[in-house]
Amino acid sequence: MDGRVFEKLTVLGESAKYDVSCSSSGADRTNIGRLGNAACAGICHSWTADGRCMSLLKVLLSNDCAYDCKYCVNRRSADTKRCTFEPRELADITMEFYRRNYIEGLFLSSAVLRSPDNTVERMAECLAILREEYGFAGYIHAKVIPGVSPEILTQLGFVCDRLSVNIELPSSESLSLLAPQKKATAIFGPMRQITQAQIEQKTLRSPGFRERLLGKSSGAAGAVASAGIGGMSDTDSNHGRGMNADEDGIVPDGAGTLVPGGAGALAPVSRYKYKERFAPAGQTTQMIIGASPESDRQIITMSEALYRKFSLKRVYFSAYIPVADQPELPPLLTPPPLRREHRLYQADWLLRFYGYTADEIFTDSEPNLDVDLDPKVVWALRHLDYFPIEVNRASEEELLRIPGIGNTSVFRILRQRRIASVGYDDLKKMGVVLKRARYFLTVGGRYFGDVPFEPLAIRTALGGGVKPQISLFETMTPGLTLGGEHELFVR
Amino acid sequence: MNYLYDETFDGFLTCVKHHYYTENAEGIFPNSSAYQMDLTRYAMTVETDEDAARIVHRAIVNKISKWDAERVYRVFCTNEPEKEMKMLRYLRLGFKQGGRIRLLHGHPVVNDVQKAEQRLGCEVHRLCGLIRFSETQDKLLYAGFEPDNDVLEFLAPHFTDRFRYDPFILHDKRRDKALFAYNKEWQIAAFGEEEGQEIQMSEDEATYRRLWKEYFEVMATKERLNPACQRRFMPARYWKNITEMST
Repeated sequence: MDGRVFEKLTVLGESAKYDVSCSSSGADRTNIGRLGNAACAGICHSWTADGRCMSLLKVLLSNDCAYDCKYCVNRRSADTKRCTFEPRELADITMEFYRRNYIEGLFLSSAVLRSPDNTVERMAECLAILREEYGFAGYIHAKVIPGVSPEILTQLGFVCDRLSVNIELPSSESLSLLAPQKKATAIFGPMRQITQAQIEQKTLRSPGFRERLLGKSSGAAGAVASAGIGGMSDTDSNHGRGMNADEDGIVPDGAGTLVPGGAGALAPVSRYKYKERFAPAGQTTQMIIGASPESDRQIITMSEALYRKFSLKRVYFSAYIPVADQPELPPLLTPPPLRREHRLYQADWLLRFYGYTADEIFTDSEPNLDVDLDPKVVWALRHLDYFPIEVNRASEEELLRIPGIGNTSVFRILRQRRIASVGYDDLKKMGVVLKRARYFLTVGGRYFGDVPFEPLAIRTALGGGVKPQISLFETMTPGLTLGGEHELFVR
Repeated sequence: MNYLYDETFDGFLTCVKHHYYTENAEGIFPNSSAYQMDLTRYAMTVETDEDAARIVHRAIVNKISKWDAERVYRVFCTNEPEKEMKMLRYLRLGFKQGGRIRLLHGHPVVNDVQKAEQRLGCEVHRLCGLIRFSETQDKLLYAGFEPDNDVLEFLAPHFTDRFRYDPFILHDKRRDKALFAYNKEWQIAAFGEEEGQEIQMSEDEATYRRLWKEYFEVMATKERLNPACQRRFMPARYWKNITEMST
């Protein structure tokens, strides 16, 4: 190995680290090749000094970009070192790292090398060496370059576990302003094709939508499969909201052409005894937070639409780190909005695992998430009339609405309730965060909060600060009286 | 009565039998020099009786459940303090409650066992990622590590499948034993610290370690450093066996 490899790996790793996703989950496979397997839960192998997990060898095939996106370190006009991996070179490194258990697989992305098709072809070449020549059965996540042709994408999908197309920015206006060469149609075309191919392959597994798990609606996957991607099931009013993105012109109808006969028609002859699967771990996307003026509400509504329309597994958010001094962007030295990113992820979890909808999380007067408190607490404070909830009687959905109680605790509470009542001390043992939960529940009829049952008092007790949240009162239910304190703070 | 046993699972099961048929156990301890004489209680050294152990094991499977029998074994493999008495209390409750004992998440006895088991499970999962192999001169893969719990056999299914055609050694340096595996078959045998040090690395090994370290360094985003978070996921006690963290 020559010194060039060291340089290439560091330069191309450095450029790839702004891709947030590093999960190795979603695919479950035993060793069907020569080396490797995949665990459904995903396995993290290391954590960098910024506390983020490293699961895959995250690297660009090339950083020699033809595009000039303003927020990107690899934009054409930037003065950085350019290099490109030979497909075999990268495949060799991946195998050696994997053997030593440094990584769980490969996350291959790339700058646009001349054209999207040319880039993805080279990526597919590298992955084909890994899969076919080296018998690599570990995890592969490939980033799809917007604008790639459907035939080449199909080829890529059959060697990957997970595909992702980056949305980059939460609205098409910002996209055309900051990344003029990337078109919304070029992003949603491949996304749509991936979902379609998965439906044909029956490999579509949606994100953890609570209502679907409970069997309450036809389910995101079912709705997509029966109605096609274009039309959504109208039985569930929530799906209607999913169309918001369309109205904003972010998800244009008829974006991208689908392969005639679908992905199956182009499927290569099977290399293994089992049926080859198109991206069994699904697709994800990523958008940058804080580079453009969109509100949190727009971002979360957009995510919800993506989950429902395309059944994405995850939408990742990436706090914008200033890399260039451009008039359209926040100035250099602006700290990345980490807290905001964190709150957005919390809201994202509420969508996927707690059965909230985007419209519930926000009100018209509060289009942004509260930075001091997590969105679940904020929702509960706005709807104090639903609380306190009796732990021994409430249904699964009701329990999930209590701040400090998550899916695991709900599971345990319900299990124990089958044979014994649940006491206050039991809750802590079950993993409930009583610091938050105690203000919102009763156990056997007893309330355990130590402050008056009022939004402001609870908010203060939870560390929400006493700054007057005018909007909090406006949206409050009329059943609650606040007396003199209310007036004091409004003034 | 305090029971002293030989730190085998069969030995523990024999103690369970004695608890019911000889005298109530007030403490079960490993039969080692670390045992502190307790002046208020008699101590009895329990001879491991495989037949008795088998009977107790069958009773657990029949009267509680197979899953709980496995659960008790998993707790046995942890380094939980006073794990023997926690397991015994769990079994006693289990013989009363039957298979539904696992639903009693809030019960202190069940909670103790559940927590210990969870710690083992966490460590196994974590080590699946944190173990670092090195290539030896004979193209074997060797990994030395120091787990808190006795996790070797729980790691076996994952790694034997993953490295099916690569022979490898997983060396638990803390317990002086190792797992040897090839072609989906594996066994655990004694393996001393010195034997581990005798292993010679291949020529490429140092290069790939350096390559990995350099890659690891550049992957951290300088604008959002958070070493506390890093340590939470990757505890410092593992670092000396992790290529990128050791010097």
